[in-house]
Amino acid sequence: MATGMRGLTQFIADIRGARVRELEEKRINKEMANIRKRFKDGNLDGYQKKKYVAKIIFTYILGYKVDVGHMEAVNLISSNKYSEKQIGYLAVTLLMHENSDFLRLVVNSIRKDLDDNNEIHNCLALHAIANVGGKEMAEALAEDVHRLLISPTSQSFVKKKAALTLLRMYRKHPDVIPAEEWALRIVSIMDDPDLGVVICVTSLVMALAQDHLDAYAVCYQKAVDRLHRLVVDHEYSATYAYYKVPSPWLQVKLLRLLQYYPPSDDPTIRSVLHNVLQVIMNNSAEPTRNVQHNNAQHAILFEAIGLAIHLDTNSPLVGTAAVLLARFISSKETNVRYLGLDTMAHLAARADSLEPIKKHQGTIILSLRDKDISVRRRALDLLYSMCDVDNSELIVGELLRYLRVADYGLREEMVLKIAILTEKYANSYKWYVDTILDLISAAGDHVGDEVWYRVVQIVTNTEDLQEYAAKVVFEHMKSPSSHESLVKVGGYILGEYGHLIANSPGYSPLEQFQLLHAKSQFCGAPTRALLLSTYIKWVNVFPELKPQLINVFERYRHVLDSELQQRACEFYAIASRPEEDELLQNVCEEMPPFPPRQSALLGRLNRKQGDTEDKRTWVIGGKEANLERQASKRLTVMTTGAARLSNGSTGVSQPDSASAQDITKTLAGLDFTTSPDQAEAPGLQHASSNLSTIKVPPVVAGPNVDRWFDKLTYSADGVLYEDIQLQIGVKSRYHGHLGQLAIYVGNKIGVPLTSFTTTMHVSEPEALSVTFAKMPPTMIAPRTQTQLLLHIECNKFFRTPPVMTVSFLAGSHQTLSVRLPLVITKFFEGVKLGPTEFFERWKLIGGPPREAQSIFPITLNAAGHIDMPKHRQVVSGLRFDILDGIDPNPTNIVGAGVLHMAVEGKVGCLMRLEPNREAKLCRVTIRSTSEDVASEVQKLVQKPLTTES
Amino acid sequence: MIHAVLIFNTSGVPRLTKFYSPIHHSSQTLVQRIFSLICTRPAGLCNFLDAPELEEFLGKKSHEDERLRVVYRSYATLHFVFLVDASESELGILDLIQVFVESLDRAFENVCELDLVFHFDEVHHILAEVIQGGLVLETNLDEIDRSIKQAAQARKTSFASSNPLSLGGGGGLGQRSAGLQTPLGWLTGKLSGVGAI
Repeated sequence: MATGMRGLTQFIADIRGARVRELEEKRINKEMANIRKRFKDGNLDGYQKKKYVAKIIFTYILGYKVDVGHMEAVNLISSNKYSEKQIGYLAVTLLMHENSDFLRLVVNSIRKDLDDNNEIHNCLALHAIANVGGKEMAEALAEDVHRLLISPTSQSFVKKKAALTLLRMYRKHPDVIPAEEWALRIVSIMDDPDLGVVICVTSLVMALAQDHLDAYAVCYQKAVDRLHRLVVDHEYSATYAYYKVPSPWLQVKLLRLLQYYPPSDDPTIRSVLHNVLQVIMNNSAEPTRNVQHNNAQHAILFEAIGLAIHLDTNSPLVGTAAVLLARFISSKETNVRYLGLDTMAHLAARADSLEPIKKHQGTIILSLRDKDISVRRRALDLLYSMCDVDNSELIVGELLRYLRVADYGLREEMVLKIAILTEKYANSYKWYVDTILDLISAAGDHVGDEVWYRVVQIVTNTEDLQEYAAKVVFEHMKSPSSHESLVKVGGYILGEYGHLIANSPGYSPLEQFQLLHAKSQFCGAPTRALLLSTYIKWVNVFPELKPQLINVFERYRHVLDSELQQRACEFYAIASRPEEDELLQNVCEEMPPFPPRQSALLGRLNRKQGDTEDKRTWVIGGKEANLERQASKRLTVMTTGAARLSNGSTGVSQPDSASAQDITKTLAGLDFTTSPDQAEAPGLQHASSNLSTIKVPPVVAGPNVDRWFDKLTYSADGVLYEDIQLQIGVKSRYHGHLGQLAIYVGNKIGVPLTSFTTTMHVSEPEALSVTFAKMPPTMIAPRTQTQLLLHIECNKFFRTPPVMTVSFLAGSHQTLSVRLPLVITKFFEGVKLGPTEFFERWKLIGGPPREAQSIFPITLNAAGHIDMPKHRQVVSGLRFDILDGIDPNPTNIVGAGVLHMAVEGKVGCLMRLEPNREAKLCRVTIRSTSEDVASEVQKLVQKPLTTES
Repeated sequence: MIHAVLIFNTSGVPRLTKFYSPIHHSSQTLVQRIFSLICTRPAGLCNFLDAPELEEFLGKKSHEDERLRVVYRSYATLHFVFLVDASESELGILDLIQVFVESLDRAFENVCELDLVFHFDEVHHILAEVIQGGLVLETNLDEIDRSIKQAAQARKTSFASSNPLSLGGGGGLGQRSAGLQTPLGWLTGKLSGVGAI
């Protein structure tokens, strides 16, 4: 602290007192010399070191270079006085950078502070790592930081810093953090009661989840749950309200996090989230006069709109959002206009229909003339995104008009965007050529070479256009000052196609030559070289110009530029050959069409906006640009950067002669034959297959666990799992293909189970759908029970029961996976059949493969008899109707049932159970119209009855 | 993430510069550049500014595609400027500036420009409680205040232990000696520019 160091205060006062810069420098040099001497003499006590280092820091902050004090700062860190340590750390974080050699010296001190019992020392160390931590530090200290984050004894303020420090380490050196291994533990902290901790952990999760979507999938439900608690239940500590808005930062972070995941399939989560977004949008309907309050509310609102767009562009929420945005873009507040335009660009980038945006086209075009350049930029982005075939002429026209008065810094980007729009949405070749030539004349300096290359490509490939292009370019070049790019285009086009217009009045060869040659003196060497090539082509097609042209070559043979000179010499030699020589003709053969290729323009624009650290969830541009980006992003995620596909290269061009008429196809080189829907499908499929291939965690094993499970396969209620902490019970009810399963989770210990999370792993999701009726609670109080209600629907035949994973924090983080007693027979309904009907069907189905049969050992009851009640219980528990009086042997059991499936329909199933007391064996026979069902049911009957060996 | 936090006064003199990403040129030029961007903007424009021209300072090569934005807010004689990338919510950053200013205000009891000069170390400590490594650490004023007080307490204790004879002295906050006090206006109430009430 400055107070208590009089020398420092004096120093600062002196410097403030310095009237001119020279005096200030003099004072500083004097001080530095003094400090250097003091340091050299050594024998400084802690206070003196602290004082000098503080002076050095101050000098550094003023912008002077300092080269002393690093060593002293390192020493101060290891001091055990907090005041000295603090200055030491401040110096380290300000004076050093992550590759500084001095940092090696502090690793051990930092580790010592991390292990210290004193939390504020932990904090200093964490803060230092978070600011300057390099690879070495990350490798050495990641474990320690993680420990501080998850330790149950860590204070909130330590946890917060630890979370952000881990994040920093991950950003710098992702390989140091075992992100997947730590996933569940880290996500569980999102349930921390302290919102400050939640903010920091959410930042961490957001970064990790982007690269490990699956491992962190649980965070989706956590985020939704937290949002619901904040926004709808208003469950937060009052100090986290910022101008009456519950922690806007956290809300914004959570809303942003959700945008990194594909929309959830779970209807419960979806409806909760919908509710949250609805409330946020309603909140904004009541504007207040307080600036800060308004700010905070809008921050959330804009993020919520972003999420709504991400979830479903056709939802009514987005409709509401579009109305709000329309209001925002004509708001009086500049900030709101700016963000309104930005968010509208997001909408345009995703929406199927641009209609709601086009309604405000006029306002948006007006925004191009806003008094604030920031707003103008956003308007430009939005116009670019909302352009399509219908409004392209209007928008491009507006942009062209604006280009002439636009800010210098904006022009290059504008030119690129105009060129792309013109190319992508051109309705006619003529318009394309006109616009691009206008563009080159209007802003030549900002037109990159790609733009005029592209014109040449397109004109060469489009025969109908050549004559028109030649005329137009000729007209453009008549203006007294043409830009060099225009001369290049003109030189090329007239050279190739000048002969097409040579017979029209005003375009004679001589006039063409005079026009072009007059410009050449204002051009650089590359352009002149190009013009020489034009002339040699003319020697071929316009023999009447030959004398003048040879004259030009003759003169250029003596210029200093070697490239020009060589060309001139070669061309001169070719041109001077005798008339009947064929060389000239062969050399000047007309250019063949270019192979179709991707527009270099798009490549350039995409290069300008690639992945950032926190990746953007959308890019400026139309819908397909975004879809393409998503697809390539998924690929990159999948291959983890092994073969990083650039956004540009995914737009594979396909030579397609049939579609050559369609200008958009040949021009943009983009493959438009895939409709947006199709393009979307692979991405989504990929996502869903990803989700289903999440490895199901290993289920808990043990004789009890199996016994509980087996018992529940033929009974509706019972215990599913129990240990010293936890009891899980099940109650169920089925009707046809639908079912309801209530799971009771009891906390048997004296402390609450926090961050309670349940996830379902259904290995055959298309056959069986299991959803929570509402979001499960996140905490179970000591010695209480909570109920989770599941809705179940059987669509198709399935074999593997779903697995429920329960994880919670009770001291440490624990995870438990159990199979749910959901087997195919749960969807049976018994049928009453008379003997004749039964045998008729039995025979109809016939033997294998539609019959499954097995013989297995059974245990007799205490009296040595067959345990008839149990047999009957199992068969009826498996939801067969027991048909008495069909089998003459009373110990045999005969049953019938029908399996109900929503998609595959009904399947009948008959069974016969024949126990033999003497042999202690039992034979089970199942006949069903489906082989799969027969074999599966046979296993299910046998399992609970067979002797456990 | 937040790449830099800067405070400078209306004449362009930096009062706080903190970079969370390595910068490639001298920080003074960067500050001057940002100042020239901002000082030309009259009140009433928005608080956000696209700043492609600043990219060269923040390692264009490492993340060439960053869409850097300047978010700033002016209070009395001071500009508070945050340099952020696209992953931050602009309005969120505006709120954060307000939180930072309010926490300075609490720590210094009506903060003024001179506090930032004479207590530069303390300003850095306060900033460290709000932002760490370019990320938002805490936004709750009470929490921030508590951490700062705690650190001050620790400093006081360690000071007292080494100077058993001193009476208080080191550690405390807001001890402006009377001679240095030239009130430049209390900051938090003096929001100027957009949204000024």
